[in-house]
Amino acid sequence: MLHLITNPIGVWALSKREIHRFLSVANQTIFPPLVSSALFMYIFGVAIGSRINFASTGLSYLQFIVPGLMAMHLISSSYENTSSSLFIGRWHNHIQEILLSPLSYIEMVLGLLAGGVARGITVCLGVWGISFLFSPSSIAHPLALVFFMVMISVIFSCAGMMGALWAEDFGMLSIWNIYLIVPLALLGGVFHPLSMLPRPLQILSHFNPMHYLISGVRWSMTNTGDTSLSICVCVALFLAGLFFIATVYLFKIGYKLRT
Amino acid sequence: MRNSETAISIKYLTKFYKKFQALDEVSFNVKRGDFFAFLGPNGAGKTTTINCLTGLSNYQSGDVKVFGYDVTSEYLHSRRLIGLCAQEFNFDPFLTIYQLLVYQAQYFGIPPMEAKKRSNQLLERFGLIDKRNCKHRALSGGMKKRLLLCRALIHDPEILILDEPTAGCDLELKFLIWDYLSQLNREGKTIFLTTHYMEEAEKLCKTIGIINHGRMVRIGDKKQILQDKSLEEIFLEITGSE
Repeated sequence: MLHLITNPIGVWALSKREIHRFLSVANQTIFPPLVSSALFMYIFGVAIGSRINFASTGLSYLQFIVPGLMAMHLISSSYENTSSSLFIGRWHNHIQEILLSPLSYIEMVLGLLAGGVARGITVCLGVWGISFLFSPSSIAHPLALVFFMVMISVIFSCAGMMGALWAEDFGMLSIWNIYLIVPLALLGGVFHPLSMLPRPLQILSHFNPMHYLISGVRWSMTNTGDTSLSICVCVALFLAGLFFIATVYLFKIGYKLRT
Repeated sequence: MRNSETAISIKYLTKFYKKFQALDEVSFNVKRGDFFAFLGPNGAGKTTTINCLTGLSNYQSGDVKVFGYDVTSEYLHSRRLIGLCAQEFNFDPFLTIYQLLVYQAQYFGIPPMEAKKRSNQLLERFGLIDKRNCKHRALSGGMKKRLLLCRALIHDPEILILDEPTAGCDLELKFLIWDYLSQLNREGKTIFLTTHYMEEAEKLCKTIGIINHGRMVRIGDKKQILQDKSLEEIFLEITGSE
C-alpha cells in the first residue's frame, strides 16, 4: 500500500481535514451515540436485563450488550461520517478542491476514510467508556478489538462514500442507513445471542454479515461468541477489501464526481 | 515539468452529455507564457473545455495535454501545473479561509510551514488578511472572488485557468485582478481566461480563441484578429449573436 502513496502530505492533510470536520461538530457526531448508548445500557442492561436469565452465556445481559452497542455505533458513525462529508462536498461542490489536486484515487479514498475510521473508533471506545458508569468491563483481546474496529470502520466508511456518491439529495443519503445497515446490525445480534432465536431465524442470521462483525467485537471484549472467530476474521477482511476496492473504482471512473 | 513550449495542447476533443454534443473535435494549442482569451457565448463549450483540461469532466475522444502530460493517464503531473479559479464559490463551509488555503496547499504536497507562509502572503496580497479567521460565508462577493484566486494560486501553478474571474466584480476589484493577472503573465505564467467582457480580453490577452456550438471557430494572435474591427464586432459576426 505504501508505494501507492506518492503524495503523503496531501493524504495527511485530507485526513486531518476530515477529523477536524467531525470534531468541530462533536455535539452532532460524538455525543449523541454516547447518550443513546447510556440509555440503552440503563434501560435494557440495568432495568430489564437484570430480570433476564442469561446464565447460559456466562455473561450478565449488560456485559452482553456493551460489545453489541460498541459495534453498532462503530458501524453507524463510520458510515455517517464519510457519507455526510462526501455528500456535502458534492452538494457545495468543494469536492473540486480534492479532485483538482494531485492526489491519486487511492489517496483520495484513504484521506476520506481516515475521518470515518477515526470517528467510528472514537465513538466505539466512548461507548465502552460509558459502560463503566454501570459495570466495569475489561477487554479480553485488545489486539483483536483493534483489528475488528479498523476492519468494521473501513467497511462502513467505504459504504458511506458509495452511499454519498449514489445519493442525489439528503433524503437518499440516509436510506441505506435507515433501511439496511441499522436493521441488519440489530438483527445481527446487538441485543440477543443467536441461540435465543427460533431455528429458522438462526439459520437466516448466518447470512447476515453484520452478525460476524458484531460477534468478532463481542469475542474481543468478552472471549465469548456464538460463531467461530476465524469465520468472523475472514468475513471482516473480505468485506473490507471488497468495499475498499469498489470505492476506489468509483473514484477512478468519476462516478457522479466528474461530469 | 517537461520541457515543452506548448502549455496546453488539445486535439480533436469530443465530449457528449448523454446525446448532446458539447464539444466537437476541438483542437488548439496555448503557448507557454501566453495570455489566452477563450471566448464564446453561453453554452458554447468554454467551461466544458476547462473541465476536460482540469480533469473535472471525462471526455469521449481526443488528446488533452498540459506541458506534455496527458490529463487522464498522467493526471498526477498535469494537476500540479494547473490552478483553477472557478465561476462558483465552492468553499468548504467547515473551514476558515486561512485553513482552507493551508489545506489546499498541502493537497498539492506543500509542507505545512510553507503552506502557512504562502497562505498568509496571498491573503495579505489580496487584502483578506483581516478575515483569515472567518468562514467564507462572512465574506462579501468581491472577497470571495479574491479568495477563489488565492486558492488557485496557492501551489504556484504554471498555468492559471480563470473562468469568468471578474463577473460581478466592482471596478476597483476588476482593476486589481487585471493588474495581478498582467503581473503574473509578465513573470512567465501561462494564463487561460474565459470572459464575456470583450474589453477585458482585448486589454489583457495576447491570443484569442472563439468557440461556438462546441467548435473552435477562430483562433489567432490578437493583432491578427483585430485588424480593422473591434473584438465585440468580430465576436458578434462569428457567433451570429445580435
